[in-house]
Amino acid sequence: MNAIQDLLTLMFFPGGLFVLALGMSYEWIDRKLMARVQNRVGPRWFQPYADIAKLLVKEEVIPADSNRLLFIALPILALAGALTAALYVPLAGFDPLYSFKGDLIVTLYLLSLLTVCTGLAGANTTDRFSLVGATRTLTQLFSYEAPFLLAMLGPAVAARSWQINEIIADADGQWLLIVQPVGFVVALIGLLGKLEIAPFNAPEAETEIVAGALTEYSGRGLALFRLGRHVELVVGLTMVAAFYMGGVNGLPLFILKTLLLLLILVGIQSLVARLRIDQTVGLWWRWGVLLVLAQWLALVIWEGVQA
Amino acid sequence: MDTQEALKSAETLLTDYPSTRPEENRLDVTLAPENLSAVVSNLVAARWGYLIAITGLDQVALGQLEILYHFGAGAAVLTLRIPLPRIPIPSVESICPIIPYANVYERELGEMFGVEFRNSPNTDRLFLPDDWCSDVYPLRKDAVLNEE
Amino acid sequence: MDTTVPQRFVVPIGPQHPALKEPGHFEFTVDGEQVTGASVRLGYAHRGIEKATEGRNWVQNLYLLERICGICSHVHATAYCLGVEKLAGVTAPPRAQAIRLLVAELERIHSHLLWLGVAAHEAGFDTLFMYSWRDRETVMDILEALTGNRVNYSANLLGGVKFDLTPELTDQIYAGLELLEERTHQYVDVVTSDATLLQRTRGVGVTTREQAEELGLVGPTARASGVERDIRAEAPYAAYSDFPVKVVTATAGDLEARFVVRLQELFEAYRLIRAVLEKLPPGDLQARMPRKIKPAETISRVEAPRGELFYFIKSNGTDQPERIKVRTPTLCNLASVCVLAIGSQLADVPMILAGVDPCFSCNDRMVTVYSGDTDHTQWTWKQLRQYGIDYYRR
Repeated sequence: MNAIQDLLTLMFFPGGLFVLALGMSYEWIDRKLMARVQNRVGPRWFQPYADIAKLLVKEEVIPADSNRLLFIALPILALAGALTAALYVPLAGFDPLYSFKGDLIVTLYLLSLLTVCTGLAGANTTDRFSLVGATRTLTQLFSYEAPFLLAMLGPAVAARSWQINEIIADADGQWLLIVQPVGFVVALIGLLGKLEIAPFNAPEAETEIVAGALTEYSGRGLALFRLGRHVELVVGLTMVAAFYMGGVNGLPLFILKTLLLLLILVGIQSLVARLRIDQTVGLWWRWGVLLVLAQWLALVIWEGVQA
Repeated sequence: MDTQEALKSAETLLTDYPSTRPEENRLDVTLAPENLSAVVSNLVAARWGYLIAITGLDQVALGQLEILYHFGAGAAVLTLRIPLPRIPIPSVESICPIIPYANVYERELGEMFGVEFRNSPNTDRLFLPDDWCSDVYPLRKDAVLNEE
Repeated sequence: MDTTVPQRFVVPIGPQHPALKEPGHFEFTVDGEQVTGASVRLGYAHRGIEKATEGRNWVQNLYLLERICGICSHVHATAYCLGVEKLAGVTAPPRAQAIRLLVAELERIHSHLLWLGVAAHEAGFDTLFMYSWRDRETVMDILEALTGNRVNYSANLLGGVKFDLTPELTDQIYAGLELLEERTHQYVDVVTSDATLLQRTRGVGVTTREQAEELGLVGPTARASGVERDIRAEAPYAAYSDFPVKVVTATAGDLEARFVVRLQELFEAYRLIRAVLEKLPPGDLQARMPRKIKPAETISRVEAPRGELFYFIKSNGTDQPERIKVRTPTLCNLASVCVLAIGSQLADVPMILAGVDPCFSCNDRMVTVYSGDTDHTQWTWKQLRQYGIDYYRR
């Protein structure tokens, strides 16, 4: 009985299909808002579903000189990572499905899995655009990952726990973004970097390197990578909202807070040009890391004084 | 600079060669191929205008292929005309050492009319496909292009 | 890996590439993100137009040459008409000349707005791209109302123009200009103050005045480097002597300067169009042209949106030209891309490329693309399909 329930939870609700559906809906909202800001009509609500369905039925062309196993396995791994990460966050306002001491660290690394897989997928195909894209993807990973991690760990330090639901419980509905504004901003902008959207879309800058690391992907592989990214959008938004905006108790609050964050992301996306990869790295290491570290220092001292 | 003044100064630079004035803003000077480099160097040294284009003219009746170097300064246009025999492949000194950007014009002319530019830094094909046969020069009047 | 020979890592841009809306082929050798070498190959849009002109009569050629380019079709027709009129000793009436100028400036507006969108897209600034193309529709609508076409306006005839201005059209142009002028002010503001865009444009692809002269740059690209080269002012054609142009230049020579120069030229275009509408000379629209033209040769130069357009036309006494040579501005400017790209970041290359506003259709004109080989195998559709299947089965 229990096994069946677990299976249902994992496959359909609130894991599995539900997360995928949620991810695609958020993707649609992102695209629609973006289009409206840019004075376009934008896609209809089912467009992301149609895109994925179309890609899934299309032929997948595997480049002759790449490792077949890796080529097929990487997108699966990427999506699996993102879906697993979804199990540890308070998705749609429910309590996290699974929880243990230190799940925050696991979740953050599961989220990075997508980027690592993308980079490896690019390096696996010998296409030149893919190789440049892979280099850029991994370079970008190393630039935003540290500040993003530090920003997500800020609330954990305040709560003295590495467990996601304990951190949220500790905040007790308080909006941490007021006491840790730097962490909030860095986490939000780090999310832009993670999802490779403007201004951090140099790894897939179409006018330079076509589609970056995923240039050679078509059909199923591309669909899985895109699904992974949609899921990551939702998971990322959930985490930022839960940590910095006083938790997400219940569906209405979840939708309200994550959509607010999405709106901010769309605003940033539509107002900026693409940064060069060297500018991205410079921005993160010159400003992001320093600011977050300064806030950490303040936090640790404050905690020390209290104790 | 006034157009007529510009043409006058060009005329003084090129007094040694036969010249005509086909239109009021134009000066045509006919040169032997061996004088080309020296004349172009003179023009560049005197900062007279800039190279606009290089035109090829295939004159089957006269048995010659003329290369026209057009220089412009304001409204004034100076044309250096180099008549060459059509057959065998005519050859002329490249002016790229003096005017580097002339290279694209020379490459175009070379492949279209079959003119050899000596000492050119780059004689690769510019417009024609890679598998174009080497002895057909499409803009020559007698080029045979098999219509499909 | 062989350590004695340095590995060359070549990133191809083109012939099919999202950065280029038309086919051209560039190969950039990169070391990490740094570009260390560049080469260019053209000819993917060859249609053999120069050769084709020799087999058509003067009137047919007008329509052929107008189709060299889909963006600056009017300047090609104007250059050709002015040249042929000069050969025939005919002058188009003043009203026709003024209308030619009017359409040329409208075309410049459309071309520069198009460029603004493309350049913004290359920089990853899609919002600016969408907005500038939306506003470009205004001028496209005006052109359509004037001439009936959005692309190949076909406004010129040998010896004059095809249509006249009506009061309604004049009103529509005034209204459109008002909107565009307001929008252009905003674009100038964006390109000179938006921090992320400036990071991609300020100090990028700098061409000094000396370099610009050495590379033989023309048009707005040259003017952004402080070279005052504008055929409209230097050798006024059509009605430009009655409606003089103020040449817009900048000194910085970087991509930002190219943005600014093109946008400032828009204001100049608005001013010129208003001036023409106010003082449109009365009279006929067309002068009579002879069918055959005595042997002679002439040179016709006009300022296209991208720079100086050069026509060399030779007649031979029949109703067909002996030779028509077209030198388009892109050919002059394109060579500079290879020079400027070396030493810059790979990410800046599309920007530098877009900075000269390349137009490949203009560039690739001359020769029919099929090969002269007689043993050239022709593939049937079936063979081609089989090849595709076998290829992917490997």
